[in-house]
Amino acid sequence: MARDGSIYWNPILETMPREKLRELQVKKFRRIFTWAYENSPFYRRLYRDAGMEPGDIKTYEDIKRVPKTDKGVLRDVQNRPPFPYGDMLAVPLQQVTEFRQTSGTTGTPVYQADTWQDWEWWAECWAYILYAQGYRNTDRMFIPFGYNIFVAFWACHYGAEKLGCEVVPGGVLDTEARIMKMLELRCTSFGATPTYVLGMADTARKIGIDPRSIGIQRITCAGEPGASIATTKQRIEDAWGAKVYDHIGATEIGAWSYSCTFQTGLHVNEAFFLVEIEDMDTGEIIDTPGKNGKMVITALDRMAKPCIRFDSKDVIRWADYDCECGRTFRSIDGGVVGRADDITKVKGVLLAPTAIEEVVRSFKELSDEYEVVVSKKGDIDEILLKIEIMPGCENNEPDILKRLKDLLRVKTNLGYKMEIHPYESLPRYALKAKRFKDLRKH
Amino acid sequence: MTAGYDIKKMDAKIKEIRKAAEELQELGGDIEAVNKNLVRLLASTKMLELNISDAISVL
Repeated sequence: MARDGSIYWNPILETMPREKLRELQVKKFRRIFTWAYENSPFYRRLYRDAGMEPGDIKTYEDIKRVPKTDKGVLRDVQNRPPFPYGDMLAVPLQQVTEFRQTSGTTGTPVYQADTWQDWEWWAECWAYILYAQGYRNTDRMFIPFGYNIFVAFWACHYGAEKLGCEVVPGGVLDTEARIMKMLELRCTSFGATPTYVLGMADTARKIGIDPRSIGIQRITCAGEPGASIATTKQRIEDAWGAKVYDHIGATEIGAWSYSCTFQTGLHVNEAFFLVEIEDMDTGEIIDTPGKNGKMVITALDRMAKPCIRFDSKDVIRWADYDCECGRTFRSIDGGVVGRADDITKVKGVLLAPTAIEEVVRSFKELSDEYEVVVSKKGDIDEILLKIEIMPGCENNEPDILKRLKDLLRVKTNLGYKMEIHPYESLPRYALKAKRFKDLRKH
Repeated sequence: MTAGYDIKKMDAKIKEIRKAAEELQELGGDIEAVNKNLVRLLASTKMLELNISDAISVL
């Protein structure tokens, strides 16, 4: 068991005895609950309707009675005035300095507001992650990310700066240019989705560069479960000759979980987040290891748009092992192992089959039937959409395909390959349809 | 692990930083260059509180 203080960003919190950690979580939960109750009209209404007030939170058991929220609730609130966050904000709009949004694959994107303090908090969460993964001020970290309205690696960038890393923003460069820049600058590390990390290795080889020759020592993955899947992680490590670490986070939650240099499971930052795992059948909270359940999470210190008992629909399970790093933070086994509502990640973007159906069915020129096949071509995810064009509309095929692709891109943030099949040739279903096929082996 | 760290003393210093920042805010009045930089200073102070001061209450 490691007890070397130098491996912890904050040894006081990261090695705190578990009973003290639980006490801290209850105390902080009561604080964020009180903050939300007193400052956010939405939360006050939610808790008053449930007959709860701040004084009711005394023990861990009391927390289980607090009403949950989910993405649907966030959307509903956002659709009501005041624009653009509804009445969920717990600070005056003038204090909001950061806007981000979710990818919107299941419907309207959820807007996220953060104050500067919240943004410091994001960076702090990432500092815990990167420090645990061995990043230090001797690292030159490349960020091959589009720096757009999605939070993705924005907070990683700021967290790395906080550690003292030299951060190289890879913004609008294409993959080849990014590889050349990493080589030119002798970067020691980078962060991206596992799919893109593998794709970059492919591209490097195509232009005659062995990825292992670049000198990358560590890679931090996010956005997909790949880095927690042993074979994918191994493939990446073999390709780059580097250690690969995972991280889990979300726009509306924060960066809540990470693997450390010991690479056993993913620690939950329990000093900053309260993670509960809910049995999907009974709704009971699961404390024992090994049993899958739905994550309900609270960001204990996020102030502008509090995230309290948020039902993320992510399926996770507690690990039945302790990490040798000595952190007392509990670990989850295998990262996010699924989605409670059947949403899957493709190219790092959450994709809901229902979102595709919504688009396909909005085209009168298309039949009711379609099929979606997600596969991997090399290391890159690919989506094939099989459709049927209604009789009499065949002459408009190019126009239909263009409009369909454009709308799918807008609604799901993904590109598709199209395959037109003769009318009534795709399978028809009498009972439950199986229109979505994921051929990737996760 | 608190051995080797005087977290009570650390907390006291953090409180001094917050107090000094808030006093400076008063003195700065409507000088934006003071106020806006203090927003950042106070955000960093909050991170110190999350890392150190919060722990005191349970250790």
